[in-house]
Amino acid sequence: MSRLGAAAAAAAALAALGAPLLLGRGTLNDLWNLAFAVILASSWNILGGFAGQVSLGYSAFLGIGAYTTVLLSLRGLDPFATLVPGALLAAAFSVVVGLPGFRLRGPYFTIATIGVGEAVRVAASSVSFTGGSSGVRMPAGSFDFGRNYLAMVGLAIAAVAVAALVRRSAFGRALAAIRQDVDGAEALGVDSTRYKLAAHALSAALVALAGGLYAINFQYIAPGAVFDFRLSLSIVLMPIVGGIGTIVGPLLGALVVSTIQLKLLELPALRDSYLFIYGGLLIVVILFEPKGLVGLAGRLLAALRRASAPPRTAGAG
Amino acid sequence: MTRLLTVAVNSLLAAGLYAEMAYGLAVIYGVMRIINLAHAGIMMLGAYVTLTLFSRFGVDPFLAFFLVGPLFLAFGMALYRTVVRRLPRGGGAPTMGSLLLLFGVWLVLQNFAYLVWSGDTQSILTSYTMRSVSLLGVRVGVPSLLVFAASGASLLFLNLLLRTTYLGKAIRAVTQNRDAALLAGIDAEMISAVAFGLGCAFAGVAGGMLSTLYAFTPDFGRSFLLKSFCIIVLGGMESVTGVAAGALVLAVVENTLAVYTSVPISFQDAITFAILFAALVALPEGLSGLFARAPRLRGAR
Amino acid sequence: MPAEPLLSVRGLAKRFGGLLAVAGVDFDVARGEVFGVIGPNGAGKTTLFGCLVGALRPTAGEVRFAGEAIVGRPCHAIARRGLVRTHQIVRPFRDMTVEENVAIGAHFGRGAHRGASAARAVRAVLERTGLAARAGALAGTLTIGELKRLEIARALATEPAALCLDEVMGGLNPGEIAGAVALIRAIREGGVTVLMIEHHVHAVAAVSDRIMVLNFGRKIAEGAPAAVLSDPAVVEAYLGSEAPVEAA
Repeated sequence: MSRLGAAAAAAAALAALGAPLLLGRGTLNDLWNLAFAVILASSWNILGGFAGQVSLGYSAFLGIGAYTTVLLSLRGLDPFATLVPGALLAAAFSVVVGLPGFRLRGPYFTIATIGVGEAVRVAASSVSFTGGSSGVRMPAGSFDFGRNYLAMVGLAIAAVAVAALVRRSAFGRALAAIRQDVDGAEALGVDSTRYKLAAHALSAALVALAGGLYAINFQYIAPGAVFDFRLSLSIVLMPIVGGIGTIVGPLLGALVVSTIQLKLLELPALRDSYLFIYGGLLIVVILFEPKGLVGLAGRLLAALRRASAPPRTAGAG
Repeated sequence: MTRLLTVAVNSLLAAGLYAEMAYGLAVIYGVMRIINLAHAGIMMLGAYVTLTLFSRFGVDPFLAFFLVGPLFLAFGMALYRTVVRRLPRGGGAPTMGSLLLLFGVWLVLQNFAYLVWSGDTQSILTSYTMRSVSLLGVRVGVPSLLVFAASGASLLFLNLLLRTTYLGKAIRAVTQNRDAALLAGIDAEMISAVAFGLGCAFAGVAGGMLSTLYAFTPDFGRSFLLKSFCIIVLGGMESVTGVAAGALVLAVVENTLAVYTSVPISFQDAITFAILFAALVALPEGLSGLFARAPRLRGAR
Repeated sequence: MPAEPLLSVRGLAKRFGGLLAVAGVDFDVARGEVFGVIGPNGAGKTTLFGCLVGALRPTAGEVRFAGEAIVGRPCHAIARRGLVRTHQIVRPFRDMTVEENVAIGAHFGRGAHRGASAARAVRAVLERTGLAARAGALAGTLTIGELKRLEIARALATEPAALCLDEVMGGLNPGEIAGAVALIRAIREGGVTVLMIEHHVHAVAAVSDRIMVLNFGRKIAEGAPAAVLSDPAVVEAYLGSEAPVEAA
C-alpha cells in the first residue's frame, strides 16, 4: 500500500473509532453493520480472493462463532472471553472441511462448500443444545452498545490490517501463486494444501470472531439468521463487487452491499427484490468488470490520464 | 429380506429421478466445462411451470413434460445466447466466473419465482398422488413409479438422439475430446447452445418430476443440485450410463441408511455430502480429472 | 569406490490408459553432471521428468534422489529437497511481476529464504539470468525468450541440487540459443546438476557430459554425446521422424 493509502486508512480508522463522540445511535448502528460487513468481506477475501478458492459456505463459521459465544455465555463465561474458543473452533472446523474439500479444484471446491453450509445449518436446527430452529438467547446482563461498537470497529480494523499484512508476506505470495497456477506453485516447492488450509483457518477464525460480536450485540441467534445461505451469499458478493483479491475492494463492496441492505431494501417497493439486485450485481460484475469497482476505478483513471495527456500519436492505430 | 427388497425397489425408483436431474448438469459440463449453478433454479422453475400448467389448465404433470421439455430447451438456448456466451473463455478448466455468473442467474430466477408465485409452499395434488401399489411386496407411491417410467423413457430417448443424430454425435464427440472435435469442424457455438438447452430441459423436467413428489418454494432445489453434483463426481460425465451408475450408487446408499439406521430425514443432505467427501478421499486420483494432481491434457492458459 | 549418484532411476514406468509412455527406464546421474535426454516426439521425455519431480505418479519403478526414495512424495516436497523442473510450455504467474515470480522459488524452494535474504537471492538470480532489467514487469508482458529465462530463473531460485530443464531452447533464435547454452554451463559451474530435454541435438551435445536417448518410452542408447549420436539405433529412431543433425 502506498504511503497516501496508509495515511487515509489510519484516518478512516480513527474517525470510525471516534464516531461515538459525534454521531447518533442510528448512524452508529449503520456503522456497526458496515464494520461487520467489512470483517466478513476482508476475511473471505483471504481465501477467496488471494488464493482463488471461492467458498459459498462461510455462514458456517459465522454461526459457529455466534453459537459458541451464546452457549458459553449461558454457562457463565464472560461473553468477550468466549470469542477465542469460538474462533479456534471455527478454525478447527475449517481444517476438517478443507482436508477433503481442497482435494477438489476451484469450482468443484465451491460446490462442495454449498453442501457444507447446508449440512451445518441442518445440524444446528436439528440438535437440541443449540435450541433447535427457534434459536437461543444470550443471558440477561449488561448490554453496552458503546462497547459493542468499539469491539466491532476494532475487529474490522484488525481484519483489514491482517489481510494487508498477509498479502505482502511470503504466505500471501504463496496464495497468489496457488490462485494463478497451482501445479506451477507446487513445482516450485509451495505446499498448496497447507497454505490453503492456513488461509481457510485464518479467515474462518476472523469470521467467527465477527459472529461472536454479532451475537453479543443482537442478544439472540437462530439458525435461520446466522447460517442463512443469503448471508453466505452477501459475504461472497461484497469482495466480488468491490474487487476480488485486493485490500480496498472488500471495503468498497462492504459499503455498497451494506448500503443496499440498510437503505435500498428498506424501501417497500424493493423489499422483495433483493435477490434480483444481488444476482443482477453478480452478473453485471462478472460479465463487464470482473475486477469489480477497483477495476472500474482503474479504467476510469487510465481514461482520464489519456484524456488529459496531449495526443502524441494522433491518427495512429 | 423385506427390508432388502425395500432398499432395492426404492433405490431403483430414486435412481431414475436422480439420473434425470444429474444428466442436466453433466451434459453442460461435458460440452462446455461449465458447472451450471443455476441448475437448482431451473429445477425450481420447472416445478412451478408444471404446477401452473396443472392448476390453471388442468394438464396432468406427467403430460406437462411434453411442454416443459421444449419450453426449457428454448429457455436454456436463449440463456446461453444472451448471457453465458459472453463469458470469457477459460481453456479446459471451468472458470470461477462461469460459476458465479450462473449463481447470479439462479438468484434472479429465485426472485422471479418469488414475485410470480409468492414464497408460499406449493405442492401438486393429483387424483393419484396418495395412491400406492405393491411391487414385490413393497408399497410404492404411484407418482414415484410414474417418475421412474418417465425418466427412464426420457433417458432412453436421449441416448437414441445422442447415438443417431448429427447433433447428438457432435455432443458426444465434444464431450469426449473437445479439441479434436473442434478441429474436426464442429460448430462449438451451436453445440454449446444445444447442450445448454438440453441441460436446462432435463433440469426443468426433473423439477416437474420433483413437484409431483415434494412440496416446494422458490428456495427449492439446492439439495438436489448437491445430489446432482455428487452423482456426476461419482459416475463421471462422459455418458448417460455413467450418470445412471452414479445415481444408483447415491440412491442405494441413501436408502440403505434410511432403512437400516435411524438417521433423521433432515440429515439426508448431510449424508449426501458425507458420501461425496468419502468418495473424494477414497478416490483421490480417480474420476474425470476433477481432483488435485490428476494428470490433465491441458496446455498453458 | 565411486561416489553414490545424485539421482538413480530403476525400472521407471508410466502408463496412461492403454499407452505405456515410459516403459521401464534405468539411469544414474552423478553429482555435477549435465545429462541430456533426447528422442523423437512422443518418446516419453516430458513424462519421465514429470515422474521424477512428483508431478505424475509412476506406474512402477524406483527413483532415489540424494540417497532417498522419492516416488509417491508430493511435488512440493521433492522440490524442497532440491529436485526441480522447468516446463516446456512456460507457465509463469502472469499477474505477478518477474521479481515476484522468482521470489516464489526463493521463499518455498530448498533455500527457504524470507525477508531480506529472499530479496538478495532473487536479485542474484535475476542478474544471472539476465532479467534484472525486467524485474518490475508483469510476467504476462514478457517475450517468449524472456519467459523461457523466467522459467529457469524461478527454478534456480529454489536453489536446486538438480535442475530438470524441459526444452528451454524451444522457440528461441540462434543468438538466444547461444545465450541459453552459456547459462546452462554457468548453472553447472554453480554446482547444480542438470538434466535437460532438448530438440536441438547440437546444443545438447555441446553442453552434456552424457546423453540418453528415449524412443517409445524405452532407453535405446546412453553414453558420451559423440558415441551416442553415431549409434545406428539412434540414427534409425530419428530417421523415422526427424534427423537429429537437422534439428539444430
